[in-house]
Amino acid sequence: MTETTTTEPWLDSNQKPYIQIENVTKKFGDFTAIDNLSLNIYKNEFFSLLGPSGCGKTTLLRMLAGFERFTEGRVLVDGEDISEIPPHLRPINMMFQSYALFPHMTVEKNIAFGLKQDKLPDNIINQRVEEMLELVELTDFAKRKPGQLSGGQSQRVALARSLAKQPKLLLLDEPLGALDKRLREQTQFELMDIQEKLEVTFVIVTHDQEEAMTVSSRIGVMDSGKLIQVATPTQIYEAPINREVADFIGDVNIFKGIYKGQDETGTQLLSEDSKSIIYATQKVDVPVGNRIWFALRPEKLEITRKLPEVDFNILKGKIEDIGYGGSFSTYHVKLENGRQLTAIRANRERTAEHHLTWGDEVYLHWAPHSAVVLLS
Amino acid sequence: MSIKEIQIPVFLKRTFNGRNVAISIPYLWLLLLFLFPFVIVLKISLAQPVIAMPPYTPLFSWGDSLWPKIQAGLDSYLFLFSDSLYIKAYLSSIKIATISTVLTLIIGYAIAYSIARAPTRWRGILLMLVILPFWTSFLIRVYAWIGILKTEGLLNLALMTLGVIEKPLIIMNTDLAVYIGIVYSYLPFMILPLYANLEKMDMNLLEAAADLGCRPFKTFWTVTIPLSLPGILAGCFLVFIPVIGEFVIPDLLGGTQTLMIGKVLWGEFFYNRDWPVASAVAIIMLLLLIVPIILYQKSQEKAIS
Repeated sequence: MTETTTTEPWLDSNQKPYIQIENVTKKFGDFTAIDNLSLNIYKNEFFSLLGPSGCGKTTLLRMLAGFERFTEGRVLVDGEDISEIPPHLRPINMMFQSYALFPHMTVEKNIAFGLKQDKLPDNIINQRVEEMLELVELTDFAKRKPGQLSGGQSQRVALARSLAKQPKLLLLDEPLGALDKRLREQTQFELMDIQEKLEVTFVIVTHDQEEAMTVSSRIGVMDSGKLIQVATPTQIYEAPINREVADFIGDVNIFKGIYKGQDETGTQLLSEDSKSIIYATQKVDVPVGNRIWFALRPEKLEITRKLPEVDFNILKGKIEDIGYGGSFSTYHVKLENGRQLTAIRANRERTAEHHLTWGDEVYLHWAPHSAVVLLS
Repeated sequence: MSIKEIQIPVFLKRTFNGRNVAISIPYLWLLLLFLFPFVIVLKISLAQPVIAMPPYTPLFSWGDSLWPKIQAGLDSYLFLFSDSLYIKAYLSSIKIATISTVLTLIIGYAIAYSIARAPTRWRGILLMLVILPFWTSFLIRVYAWIGILKTEGLLNLALMTLGVIEKPLIIMNTDLAVYIGIVYSYLPFMILPLYANLEKMDMNLLEAAADLGCRPFKTFWTVTIPLSLPGILAGCFLVFIPVIGEFVIPDLLGGTQTLMIGKVLWGEFFYNRDWPVASAVAIIMLLLLIVPIILYQKSQEKAIS
C-alpha cells in the first residue's frame, strides 16, 4: 500500500480525514457542553484539544471513547460511523487522567487486560505485554501492583495498557497532569517518540498550553463547547484569530484602538497607550474607524535604555518589576498612562554589562511584522 | 512551696500520659463487660448442677479445713459430646448461618450496589431507608413476620386473592421462615459495609475496563467484585458471627425441628436449669466463633494497611 505522506494532510484536499466529527452536540439538561462541533483529524496526527476547564474538551474526548452519547451529530473513524457502538466494541482506547489502573492486578495483568478480552492466545498476549513493557521501560516492574509504583511509573503503565491493543485512535486525558514539571517535559518527548514509532493517531486533552505546543501536530482551542481555532502550534501562537486565543496561549500584550487606515509601513492604529500612531504589517479589511486590536508577544518587545533609532512603535515607560527566569528575564514596564506591558529578554551574557533594574526609564519597540492584528 | 518542687516519678508520668489513658479506656470496657462475665461463665461450666440457689456447686468450698477445696470438672463438656443433640445443633447453626450469610450477601450486594450507583442526592435517603427498621424494636419486627408468614397471614392472603395459589403455603415454623427472618433482620449489617466500599470505588476503573473491551457483565466479575472484597468480607462476618448464636428468630419463626445452638442454650438455662451444661454450650460456641472473628480481624487490618 502506498500512501502519500504529507506533513500537513489538512492542507491537502485529496487526503481523507481519519476521524470525522460531524456537527456533534452534547447537552446535559439545559447545559450545552458541546455546541454543533465539527472537526477532521488525520491519520498519525497528534492532535491537542486545549482550553480552560469546563470548555467541553473532556466531554468531547469521552464521547469519542463512547462514555457519553451525543445529543446530535455523528463520528466516523476510518469511514465507519461509530456513534452507536458501545465503548467496549470501539477500536479506540483511552488513557485516563487518573490512570485508572486496576489496583488488584499486577502491572503485567493490567497491560494484558485488554488483550485478554479479545481472547488472543496466551503466547501472543505475553509477547505483546513484553513489547509494551519494553516500550515504556518497565520490564523490571512487571510483577508489581499499581500501589507500589511512582506517579511516573503509573503513567507509563497506563500508557502501555492503552496502547497494548494497537488502537486506531488513542485518547489521552491530561496524560501528564499529575507529573512534576521536569518529568512532564521529559515525558512529552517520550510520548512523541512513541506516537511516531507506533503510528497511532493521538488525541490529547490538556489545559497546559506549553504541553500542547510541544507535542502537537495541530491544536484545537476550545471554549464554551466550540472550537475557536484549529491550527498548528506556530499558527496558534503567531497568528491567533482573536484576543481569546491570543490570551489563552502564552502571554500577550494587547493594544486596543481605532483603525486609521493603511500606509506603506502597514496598518495604522490609534491607541490610548501611545501618543503617535502604531503600526503592524498585517493588512485588514475593515472600514476606517473600526475598533481593532494589536497583539504582541512579550519576547517581541525590545526593551532598551537608549531611544531606538526608528521613528515609530516606540513606547516610553518605567520598569516596575523584574522576574528573573534564568535563561530569560521578564520585565513589567509601566507606561506613562499607567498601563503595564510585559517584555521578555534573553539573558545572553552571564552578567549583563548594562543590565536593567527597577525604576529604570526604558523604551519599548517592536518591528511592525511582529504584531498581530485582531478584529475581535 | 512552689509547684516546681513537686517531683512526679518518671514511671508514673510515662504510665499516665494522655495517650495511654485513652487507649486503656476501651480495654477497661472489654475487661469489665466481656472478660469478667466470660470468666464467670467459664467458672459455672466447670461446676456441677445442684438444686439450690444458685443452681451449681461453688468453685471453692472451705468446709473445716484452712485451705479451700477446689471443685471443678469437665463433666459438662464431656456430656456435650456424649449427646449427639449438641453436635447436631452446632452443625445446624453453622449451616443456617452459612446459607443465610450467602443469601444476605446476594440481596445486600444488589441493594448496596444500586444505592452506590444512584444519583448523589438520592443516596442519603436510600441509606436512611436501610437503617429505618432499627427505629422499631427487633422483637416487634420479628413478630410482624409471624403476621406475614402464618397460614392465614398476609402473604398467603395476597397470593390466594391474586389466584397464584389455591392452598395456603406452609412457611411459618419451618427453616424457610427462619431464613426469611434472618436475612431480613441482618440485611443492614451487610449493606452498610458493602455500600461504604462500593460508594468510594473509582468509576474510571469500570470505564477503563469497558474501554479495553470488557463487557459490562464481565467487568462486574473481574473488577467490581475483586475490588469490593473487603466490603464483602466485613459484611459476611458481621452477619455470620451473630447469626450462629441467634435465638429469637429460630424461636419465634422456626419450628420444633429447627435446631440452633441459641435455642439449645436457652433450653438448658431455663427449662433444664442445668447452668453448667448451658455455660459449656456457650463456651464451645465462643471457641467456634474465634476462627471467623480472627479471620475478620485479619481482613480488617489488611483493609486498613
